[in-house]
Amino acid sequence: MSGQQFPAYLLRAFRVTAMPTVKMTPHLYRFFPQLEGQTVTVPAGSVKEALHAINEQAPGFTDYILDDRGALRRHVNLGINDSIVFDRKTLSDRVPEDGTLYIFQALSGG
Amino acid sequence: MLSDNQLLRYSRHIFLPEIDIQGQQALADARVLVLGAGGLGSPALMYLAAAGVGHLVVSDPDVVELSNLQRQIVHRQDSLDQLKADSARRHLLALNPDIEVDALPRALDDDELQQQAAAATVVVVGTDNFSSRHAANRACLSTGTPLVSAAAIAWEAQISTFDPRLADSPCFACLYPDSNEQALNCAETGVVSPLVGMLGSYQALEVIKLITGAGTPLIGRLQLFDARHGEWQTLRLKRNPECPACASFVASDTSRD
Repeated sequence: MSGQQFPAYLLRAFRVTAMPTVKMTPHLYRFFPQLEGQTVTVPAGSVKEALHAINEQAPGFTDYILDDRGALRRHVNLGINDSIVFDRKTLSDRVPEDGTLYIFQALSGG
Repeated sequence: MLSDNQLLRYSRHIFLPEIDIQGQQALADARVLVLGAGGLGSPALMYLAAAGVGHLVVSDPDVVELSNLQRQIVHRQDSLDQLKADSARRHLLALNPDIEVDALPRALDDDELQQQAAAATVVVVGTDNFSSRHAANRACLSTGTPLVSAAAIAWEAQISTFDPRLADSPCFACLYPDSNEQALNCAETGVVSPLVGMLGSYQALEVIKLITGAGTPLIGRLQLFDARHGEWQTLRLKRNPECPACASFVASDTSRD
């Protein structure tokens, strides 16, 4: 059950907690095929927590998009709902319960 | 002043109230620097030429290879082994002999890029590497020239416009910090050909909007396109106050006050 299937007032009325949805660049499916075609959801919380929740579903995911200090690799970018995330180091931005986390990569092809 | 022949040629622009004769004259007076005459640069150049942008400058160091012809539509079979900049110039002038086209068959170093950006009304970047995109960004920041950037790989594409004339406009480095990390490129990953056609055409549309003042360019917005599922996503991008590329220009603006 997700927040996208039911209106927020119904979820509140029945005390159902919505979970953020994750959408990612299809390129990541090459490395993490278990995520393709899935509706990926994570608990609401910080970006860091969300990424580690994805890592539980797809081991190695955080190694791919985070560097050895836990910061976002420079060719990777994140958006929460319709805004791009600035905090690339501590990943402290909150992904709200009814939110969508976007993960995309720099492209240089022309 | 547009001639009778030009008024007829560009009549479908001039019918549009957002462009009209003044907008078409602005296009005729404009100079656009296009970095890369590949998959994105081809349709961008062709539409800008057809649309009557008076002066196009094409920079590309490469020669036309057989594997380019699947998508780089400004080049033809008889362009094989020719410099892309020269091939593009020849075909653009065949499309519209009314315009000027300068071919720069080389990668521009920082000084030449700076000079060309300063002379340009708008810069379009569709190169296949990250370092040239950051170099274009730096040149546009220092000369106050709008930059239309797009990229396409496999079935994915991105586009945004950066306008350093506006105090709150982000720059390319606000989105992707400069680094040695490799971004994805189509030489390794492949790309479906009409996708670069769409995005290169979109870049030309952004240029026309910037020059004529029509509509709202993609400043402060990044659009992502998933061609497999036909889905567009628009994300808002703010200026990063800690961006090493454009923060210094904020400081210099302030110092002039």
